[in-house]
This record gives sequence, C-alpha cells and structure tokens, in this order.
Amino acid sequence: MYRRWLWPGFAFPGILWLVVLFVLPFYAVIGVAFGTVDPILFRPVPAWNPLEWNVGWVLEVLDRLKPGGTLFNVAMRTLVFIAISLVLCLLIGYPVAYYIARHAGRMKAVLLVLLILPLWISYLMRMLAWVNLLAADGYVNRFLTYTHVLSQPRDWLGGRPSTVILALVYGYIPYLILPLFASLDRIDRSHLEAARDLGASPLATFRTVTLPLSKAGVLGGAVLITLPMFGDYYTPDIVSQSPKTSMIGNQIDFYFHYGSQPTIGAAITIILAVFLTAFMAYYMWTIHRASREVGQE
Amino acid sequence: MTAVAERRPQQLSAWSRVRGWVRNPWGRPRFLVVFTWVYMVWALVPVLIAVQFSFNETRSRTVWSGFSTRWYWGDPVDSVWHDPTLRQAAIQSLKLAAADVVIAVPIGVLLAIGLARWRGWGSRPSNFLMLFPLVTPEIVMGVSLLLIFTEIFTFIGTGTDAQILGHVTFSISYVVIIVRGRLFSIGRQYEEAAADLGASPRVALTRVLMPLLTPAIVASAAVVFAISLDDFVISQWLSSGGDTDTVPIRIYNATRAAPLPSTNAIATIMMVFTLLSLVFAFMAWRVFTRDERRARRSQDLASVLDI
Amino acid sequence: MTMHPKERRGGLTRRDFLLRSAGTAAAMSGAGGILAACASETTAEAPTGTGGELLGPGGLPLARPDKRVTMPLWEDPIESGLEPETGGTFTVFNYPDYLYKKHLREFGEMYGVEVRYTAFQNISSGIQRLASGAVEPDVMEMTPDNLTRAVAGELIKPLNLDYIPNLEKNVWPELVSPFYDVDSHYTVPYTVYATGVAWRTDHIKEDVAALPQPWDIFWEAGDYAGKVGLLTEERETIGMALLRKGILDINTEDQAQVDQAVADLKELYDVCNIKVTDTQYQAIPEDTLWLHQAWSGDMISGYIYYLPRDTPASALGFWRDEKGKYPVQNDCWSICATTKKPVLSHLWLNYIIDNGIARSNFVNFNGYQPPINEIDPASLVEDGVVPEHLAESSVLVNEDLGPDSLQYGTLTARGQQIWQDGYSEFLAGG
Repeated sequence: MYRRWLWPGFAFPGILWLVVLFVLPFYAVIGVAFGTVDPILFRPVPAWNPLEWNVGWVLEVLDRLKPGGTLFNVAMRTLVFIAISLVLCLLIGYPVAYYIARHAGRMKAVLLVLLILPLWISYLMRMLAWVNLLAADGYVNRFLTYTHVLSQPRDWLGGRPSTVILALVYGYIPYLILPLFASLDRIDRSHLEAARDLGASPLATFRTVTLPLSKAGVLGGAVLITLPMFGDYYTPDIVSQSPKTSMIGNQIDFYFHYGSQPTIGAAITIILAVFLTAFMAYYMWTIHRASREVGQE
Repeated sequence: MTAVAERRPQQLSAWSRVRGWVRNPWGRPRFLVVFTWVYMVWALVPVLIAVQFSFNETRSRTVWSGFSTRWYWGDPVDSVWHDPTLRQAAIQSLKLAAADVVIAVPIGVLLAIGLARWRGWGSRPSNFLMLFPLVTPEIVMGVSLLLIFTEIFTFIGTGTDAQILGHVTFSISYVVIIVRGRLFSIGRQYEEAAADLGASPRVALTRVLMPLLTPAIVASAAVVFAISLDDFVISQWLSSGGDTDTVPIRIYNATRAAPLPSTNAIATIMMVFTLLSLVFAFMAWRVFTRDERRARRSQDLASVLDI
Repeated sequence: MTMHPKERRGGLTRRDFLLRSAGTAAAMSGAGGILAACASETTAEAPTGTGGELLGPGGLPLARPDKRVTMPLWEDPIESGLEPETGGTFTVFNYPDYLYKKHLREFGEMYGVEVRYTAFQNISSGIQRLASGAVEPDVMEMTPDNLTRAVAGELIKPLNLDYIPNLEKNVWPELVSPFYDVDSHYTVPYTVYATGVAWRTDHIKEDVAALPQPWDIFWEAGDYAGKVGLLTEERETIGMALLRKGILDINTEDQAQVDQAVADLKELYDVCNIKVTDTQYQAIPEDTLWLHQAWSGDMISGYIYYLPRDTPASALGFWRDEKGKYPVQNDCWSICATTKKPVLSHLWLNYIIDNGIARSNFVNFNGYQPPINEIDPASLVEDGVVPEHLAESSVLVNEDLGPDSLQYGTLTARGQQIWQDGYSEFLAGG
C-alpha cells in the first residue's frame, strides 16, 4: 500500500544526522590524531587524506602504553578498577535482579519502580550525595566511629582507590541490574519446574538452569556498564583528585583541555575506541555463538 | 509448628509471625529479600539525605541544624534564586533540554518508523548505526564532537548551538527504541484495516498510525527531556564557559571544591523536573492506551467465557 | 600549555576568578613550519636564530624578563586626534566572568554603542576563532606568550598611545613598557598575579613562611595526607619543583631538569597522597583542603567570598618567595584587527585602566589585581578587601616586576612537549 521509498525516506533525516554528527566526528578524531600541529597558531592541522597521515602521534601513544611507559600504569589501573567494579556490581546486582524477577510476587511492581529510579537521578547528584556522606564529619564517618568500627574518622575523599571503586559501583550498578532483571524475568518457569521435577535441588537448579540462561543478560549488562566506565574521568575527579587514582579518561581530558597536544589526546581516544570495538566485537561474537548453541538444542 | 499451621492466619500474633518468618517453613528466600531491600536503601537513601540537606539551616552539608528554604530562595547571595550563575545554569539546562526534545523527537520518530519497515539493503547498517551511540563512551563522543565543531564546522564552534547538536545526536537513539517498541506492538493491522476501508497512504499514516504512536512519542519526549537535563560529559566538552554551563557542570565544579547546600538545592530541583517529566510520560502513556487496554481486557474476558 | 586561570576545565563561576594560571599558555611556538608532514614526526624542533637564541612563531624572538622584545609593526597605527565611532555594536572577546559587565554597559552608554561580550573557553581557542573569522570582535584579552603568535598572524592592531594616556598615568612603570612588548605596541596590561603557597594556619602546624625552603612543606606534609594539592597546571607544578631545588630558569627546555622535577613530584604520591585541583580558592577557606599551591589572588577572593563567617581571617595563610624566586604573570588587552571601531577600541583600553574603573572591576567582581599605582596594599587593607596579614604576600607591587623577576614565557615547540609530557607522566599517577 505504501510506496517502497517511503520508509527509507522517513529514515533519511535521522541517518543523515547521525552520519554528519556521529560518524564524521570520528573521522575528525582520526584526522587530528594522524595530523600535525600548526606551529604559529598551534592548533591541530587534521590530515584528511590517508596518504598524508602522520602516524607519529599514535605510535608515540602506543609506545607509552607499553610496560615501562608513562601511560602503562594508568591503563592498568583503569582495567583493574573496571574489573573490580564489574565484579562487585555483579555480586550485588545479580541477587537483587534474581529476587525481583523470581520471588518478588506482590512487591514486584514497587521494586521495579525503585530499581528504575536511580537511572533517572542525575549521576552527578548521586556522586554529590556520596561526597557529602563521605566528608570528614559526614554520616559515614559518624556512624562508623559511633559503632566503634573505626577509632577515628577516615579521610575517604583524600585520594583512595577504594572510594573511586565504590563510586563507580554506585554510579553504574543501576545500568547493570535492569538488563539482568530483564533476562532473568524472561526465563520460562517451565524450565525450572522441569528441573525440580527431575529431582534437582534449588541450588542445582539455579546452577544448571538459571545461571546459563541468564548468561546473555549478564554479558549484556556487563558490556553496558564497562564501555562507559572506560571513558569515565569525572568519577575519580569528584571523589578523589589524586593522580594515583586517575584513569585513562583523565589523560584524554588533560591533553584536550590543558595541553597543547590535542593530537596526543586524539591518538589516545582512537586507541581506546579501537580497543573497545575489539571488546564489543568479541561480545557480539560470543552472543552470536551462544544463540546458535541454544538454537541447536 | 503444627499448632501454628493449624491456626488461621488472623489468629497469629505478631511474635509467632516473626518466628514463622525466621523458621521459614515455606522456604521463602529470606536472604534475598533482606539483601534486595538493603540494596534499595543503599541506592536511594544517600540521595534522600542530599535532598534533606538542601533544606539545611546552615551552610553545612553534613551537620543538620534545622529546616530552612534559604538555599532555594531565601539567601540573598547564594540561593538558587539569587545566584546568577546557578539560575543561568538552570535556564541553560532547560533551554538545551527543550531544544533537544523539539529536534530529536520528530527526527527519531521518523527514523523509527523508517527503520522498522524498511526492507532494503541499507536497513541493517542503518539500524546498526542507530544503535552505536548507545554504546559509545561519552568521552569519545565528546572528543569527536568537540573536534568536528572546532576543525570542520568552525562556524558553530563551542557553545549553546554545539551543545544542542550534541544532545540531539545521542537522544535520537532513545526515541527510536521507544517508538519502535510501540510500532511492533501495534503491528500493521490498523493501517491495513484503514486501507481496506479506502484510506489513502497519507491518511493511513496521519490519521491512523500517528495517533496510535502518540503514547510512545510523548514518552520519548519525556525521556529525551530527562536525559538532556542530566547530561554532563557532552555539555561540558561543548561548553564555552560562563553562560553555557549547565546545572550538571555547576554541580560537578562545586562538588570537587566545596559544595554548598545550594548545590544540593539545584540538583534537587533538576531531579524534580526529571521525575515530573517521567511521571507525565507514564500518565500520558496510560491515558492514551486506556482504550486498548480496555479492549484487551474485554477480549480476554470474552475468550475465557467462550463468547 | 600553561593554563590561564580562567581556562579551568568545567567553566568558572563568577567567583571562580582568581585562578591565575602560570598564565599565558606557554604555547607551542615552534617557528618556521617545523612540524612538517614527515610521516612519523612527533618531536617538535627548537629553532634558533642567528645568535643561537630560541625563536618563537613567525621567527619572532622569545621574550623573557631579562630579554626585552620589541614587537614589529605589521601596519601603521591609526592617526591621532580622530573622533570615536558611535552607533552599532562593540564586542569584547574575553574569558567568561572576567569583566564587570556594569562597566561595559556604562562604556556603551557613554559612546552610544551596543556592547556585546563574547566568551572563549581558553585563549588559544579564542585566537583560533579570531583567525578563522568565526568572530569579529573589537577588543580581546591577550596574554604575553600568545602575543607573539597574534602578531605573527596579524590578528591584533598596533596601538596609538595618544588615545591611552591612562597607560603612563595609572599603570605600574614596569608594565608601561613591558619586556614582552617594549613601548606597548600592542597591549595594555589588565591583571597581575603571582604563585605561592596557601594554607590553613589552624591546621598546618609549621609556619610555612619561616621554613628555610617553604616549598618543602609539600614534601613534609605526611601528617596532612589527602588534604594537600597542587595546581592543575603543567608549568606551575613542574616549575615549583624546579624552584624548590633552586633552579631559577622556569623556562628551561633541559630534558634532564624537567625529568628530575617530575621525579620529585612523584615522591608526593606517597608522602601526602597529593591531589591536583584548581579549586584552592574555595577549598582552603571552606576547610576541605589544608595546603595548596595557589595564586596571589586566591586568598583574597577566598576571604571575600568563601570564608565562612565563623572562621577568622587569620586562618588563611599565603606565602610567596622573595623577588626573583617566584613566578609572576600578567594579562593584557589588545585591539583586534577585525575591529570596525579602532578609535573606540583605543578608548576602551584607556577606560579599563582608569583608576576608579579598574578598582571597581577588581573589588566588585573580578578579584584579579590590576597593576594600577593607586591600588596599593595599604588602601586595600583599609577598604577591608584584604586582611592585613595577607597584604604583604597576596598583593603585588610594581617592584615585584622587572628584569630579575620570573615569568613563564613561551617555549619552543620542543620545550612545550617536554613539559607537557612530563606533566602527563605526573598526572598518570604511576
């Protein structure tokens, strides 16, 4: 009934917008990273023609990322922070998602609303809340000294990795729980009942039925939070302004806002984007393989 | 235990109920319940405390001294109402959010319809393209937008225009996802029925499809409004300082230095705006789909009664 | 690049002034197309002139306090005795929140023009926008180390000082004909500031000013771990480490010296878990940080705007070294080549260094000290702008400038890279 060109026509403005303002900017980053710097105005001179690319900056950054280089520690630290944060998010988020999906009964709607709520509270407000709580005379210190867990107030905001990890977990966990919940919710009860009928204990049922079936959700949620975490620079900056807890995003931020070498900043961005794409590709491939396995059963 | 089980529920005292819960004869997941509620408290109470301190009498954010609205409008220098930087930041945030909705929603709705129905060779890469902004780290987007506005589209530079363009770019995907979900649940049946009744394609689109999409459009508008208000990274990278700073940027600066309760106040105000827009979207959705739900209920009822 | 205080990431509020950055970005100055399109070129060069001295953009010499440079005139200044243009718009291009808009409005009313204030986020992007034609302002902010580029790119107009009598009348003698712009061919000074140490006297037990080497306080701040900070400025931070070891050439391009400075700075991670912030003007008065590298105006604005009422002014301490051992910077105004109102622009430059206007701009809004003769420590203490115990250290006087003062100047491209990469290493927290 509709003309065939109608749908592509509808899609055209959006696609055009995304191409011009999403794809093209990536090329601008590439152009700058492979470009030079104008000596007089000392602004980057992007190289649009691949034949004119100056690979020096990217090679320089790769060199610094090698063990012993100046960026190696930052990169490692970023990976460690993200890994620990992800594990903590899963340890905390999985039981919550599981409970709401499987056992909540009447409270399910209420709990879902409460679950979604943090997503709509500005990230910065949640960080602000913790900065207030972790202050020297904030509630956390007061509670811990009152219950004699600590003998004197601890300086949480003085540049501690633990505070940064706590902030990352707090900030990103809502984005993990929701997909986890969605995938756990989708698991057909009949699979579980079948397992129980065959004599499996609740624990064994969980281990052999629920866990594997939720793998896709776990992976999806994990990807959904680790990707943004790699670019996070504001969380360490808010809860600890110490170089010892800085992440790779802070380096990018430095080179763009404080430095006169946006070429290095662009090079780090490119390398980060390539790394994350490889990461994403691996994830997509795993999902594809997993769904094929399920299909074959 | 037999005694408890034999008695009717209303006859159980509070103490035996607690005892029953602890002994857990039905195997309810007590640990998970507790864990989940502890998580909810941990997730939400800090924010509530921050809201509470925005009403603090003194300038402390850690010691409560009494209720006061000075940080909202009372204090002649530092309150949100009187401090020109906070006020300007709020205005800028709202301006960007409004512009974002006005631009992103129409583009996104069209894109959603187009992607859902397009069967040609370009549809899969277009779909992929649409999903990409959702998984791109914001700093990568910020860097790329900054560079394109300072290297190629230099007539835009940094500032409000750049911020609006940046916001729209990441908002489109959200609109598409929401509207597309609604499209799938509607299906083609209504338009085909309209065509059977003699409607032209144009009428089918405007008089049948669009009204059916209204709840999704309204919901996506509210969602775009909310995420634009809360956006930090893109706004910061494309800001030219001063008047173009948004509320999240001000909160960020203040939190790193020494926030005042007025910071809590402006954050609370923005949070209220966001939550209100979401409630509005939810209500709008329920109002607009009321007839459908009613129809579905009577349909279910009819099938049960075998009518 | 040294960041100007106003270039703090995240934008500055009205109160965020006083962040003096070791000013004027030691911009990359490699002259003569050095960063050529060699396929794998990243190391910039340090071009030298005939006498072996280092050159800046356009082959112009690099100015230093003891090496005065006269900027060449790329065109003739306007004639004297012309009438100011009226009607239309007059655009000021500067950092955000760096000028009391009231004075701008009054200037506009005086001459019947509509005034506009356009902001840039940092001076180098401002110059870029000017060069690309994206903006066409009348007057703009200029910093001594960007001056060379601006002149080389013919972006600012030479001045006719007949229109600016206030320069000789009101401004400090040292800045009437400064080392970076002898005879003031292009600039008129705006603000001046120095770098030192700020601390809370009620928390820091040591009398910082009385230490044999006060910069050492950072390396001995073990008791104050987590409450100590340095400026987010590569020039200032590395420069401080150099000065601490007695190296007075803060424009050095010696890799070994910079490496040693960075190594010294890295010791601070374990000593006091050093932070890097630009919020000292607020954090120290509000007691969230106790010890911080700071600019001379920080404690002034801290005292005026951020000190809680129940904290005595004596809780704030500031120290700067003796002359020749601490960095001093200043900002300027220039007239853009794109102006359609050259005479009026000259009158603006004259207006902004009028005694009353400069003082009001400083005290009521800006917080950055203007180099005006009448604005001296005594009068500021009298007006309650500056607490007495800070007057000596936080307020600068003419004698603080001169050939034996230290100022962060432009480096060559190579030098710039050395400093930046060293600072990036420090920032990486390794």
